Amino acid sequence: MTLHAVDYVILALYFGFVLGIGWYLKRTVSTSADFLTSGHSVPLWITSLAFVAANLGAQELIGMSASGAKYGIMTAHFYWLGAIPAMVFMGVFMMPFYFGSRARSVPEYLKLRFDEKTRGFNAFAFAVMTVFSSGISMYALGLLLELVLGWSFTASVLLSAAIVLAYTLAGGLTSAIYNEVLQFFLIVMGFAPLAWLSVSRAGGWSGIAHRLPAVMTSAWGHMGHATDNPMGVELFSMAAGLGFVLSFGYWCTNFLVVQRAMAARGMAEGRLTPLIGAFPKMLLPFVVILPGIAAVALSRMGVGYTLPRKGAGYDYDQVLTTLMAQFYPSGLLGVGLTGLMASFMSGMAGNVTAFNTVWTYDIYQGYIRKHAPDAHYLKVGRITTVVGVLLSIGCAYLATLYNNIMDLLQLVFGFVNAPLFATFLLGMFWKRSTANGAFFGLLSGTVAAAATHGLTVAEGKGGWIAPLATYPSTMAQNFWIAIWAFAVCFLVTVAISLVTRRKPVEELKGLVWGVTPIPREGNVPWYERPVLLAVTVLVCCAFLNWAFR
Amino acid sequence: MDLRVPSGLFFLLTGIIVTLMGILFPGTTAPLAETNVNLYSGLSMVLFGTILLALARRASLSGRPQGRRG
Repeated sequence: MTLHAVDYVILALYFGFVLGIGWYLKRTVSTSADFLTSGHSVPLWITSLAFVAANLGAQELIGMSASGAKYGIMTAHFYWLGAIPAMVFMGVFMMPFYFGSRARSVPEYLKLRFDEKTRGFNAFAFAVMTVFSSGISMYALGLLLELVLGWSFTASVLLSAAIVLAYTLAGGLTSAIYNEVLQFFLIVMGFAPLAWLSVSRAGGWSGIAHRLPAVMTSAWGHMGHATDNPMGVELFSMAAGLGFVLSFGYWCTNFLVVQRAMAARGMAEGRLTPLIGAFPKMLLPFVVILPGIAAVALSRMGVGYTLPRKGAGYDYDQVLTTLMAQFYPSGLLGVGLTGLMASFMSGMAGNVTAFNTVWTYDIYQGYIRKHAPDAHYLKVGRITTVVGVLLSIGCAYLATLYNNIMDLLQLVFGFVNAPLFATFLLGMFWKRSTANGAFFGLLSGTVAAAATHGLTVAEGKGGWIAPLATYPSTMAQNFWIAIWAFAVCFLVTVAISLVTRRKPVEELKGLVWGVTPIPREGNVPWYERPVLLAVTVLVCCAFLNWAFR
Repeated sequence: MDLRVPSGLFFLLTGIIVTLMGILFPGTTAPLAETNVNLYSGLSMVLFGTILLALARRASLSGRPQGRRG
């Protein structure tokens, strides 16, 4: 792919704008709360889009078209079976407790609901995970730019890191959130044309369906048995592993996204954030997945396009960029490339801002220095931002083992997130759950995740304890790791809670169902009523599932 | 700051640049693109940017508080 001056001009314009927005927002930062949590001040439309955009990083954009090419429309399950129900649950049922608890972070909720050791476990695990996510984002960027443009891996990693560092250091979380929304617009405007062009060139959806095996264009039709589809999963593990455990684990407890909802101006807007965000989220498959599927169809049409190869197989991660080279002239190519950079940067900034909050409030203030004046924590927050970026750069050099980035992320999330969702479910909805139950449940769940990975093999990965079972794909393995982690955590938490003491009910106000006032949905229009909005979202999502069954 | 302002401005400017590419260099194509992609996508971006700026202007005229103070 060759870039021309105009493409660089667009890229430079974008860098100028994100730095400018960061610089402008510097004046809004005077306390640690401003810097780390935006002090509950971000308008609803921004929190809703940021909620979706923080997750729309490199892994999503490249990974989804890669998965589209590899697995077909079944990839849409990540959205229409996984993300949407989870976001609805989050908005309707969980946001009241995040706001009611007045916690500044997810680990802090755990401290208030349970105890210090539960908070500590989550805070440390999250801090590690978020730095890894950020690093993977950078790695994907560096690799891509090296392969596609011949830019040095190190130079692109350092350039993008420097820009993200500059705007997050200047304006804190607010700057990250505002820029995430700009990045969201750019990603959509930059890649919707590609989806349109590639699908119409391939003959529209019917043309694509005609050229590809049925399993690639049917989301639900081939899930009877793991061997029926390229993903290697069947209905139960898909619904329970992805649809329930992994998706709910991510969207309801991962501080990266929860932080955006917490930045809203109150419980009402906090609840609406994931619900309103569900609408653009539902439509994203058309922008990010369809090009991958169209690419496979195009490669069979003899028009001069072939799927990029890697050794004996395909390099699916290159599908998006090779398609861009086929359809985008210089000009729009610059926009597409800038959209790619934007996706990496939003993923990175999101992780860094979540990391610096958890480090400063949960780990530093929690364990290292508890009673310093606020100015001290503001300084620590800024230093942590720098350290977070440096650690991410380090992690970028570590992520080299999987050809499909999504599989790696799902594995990492499975270890950490799956047990966590069981903890939150029990914490938020069962007054009887205790701190010891939660802590040992989390611990057992994480061990169970590792054990499942160690006892099963998939595509040559895992089985490091003893290969007791084999799965047809790493994705199936990830789903089962999540299912076991969740189940073990749930059972252990319940068992230990029943034999240990819980907090007195007065201390649970705002934290648990039954002792938390949830505001009545008064005289507001339907689109401001969480439950009604939730039902609308689910109906639309059900329609999409039916349309692409 | 009303985020619609910098966002709208960005797309307006980018859209103008891409549209100009489509008008001044209509021969700039990509292998599989069959239309003047720059022209159409550029115009869509200009439209999008204009809509954002219009929404921002309407909000500021009606005095509705918007965005982070600053």
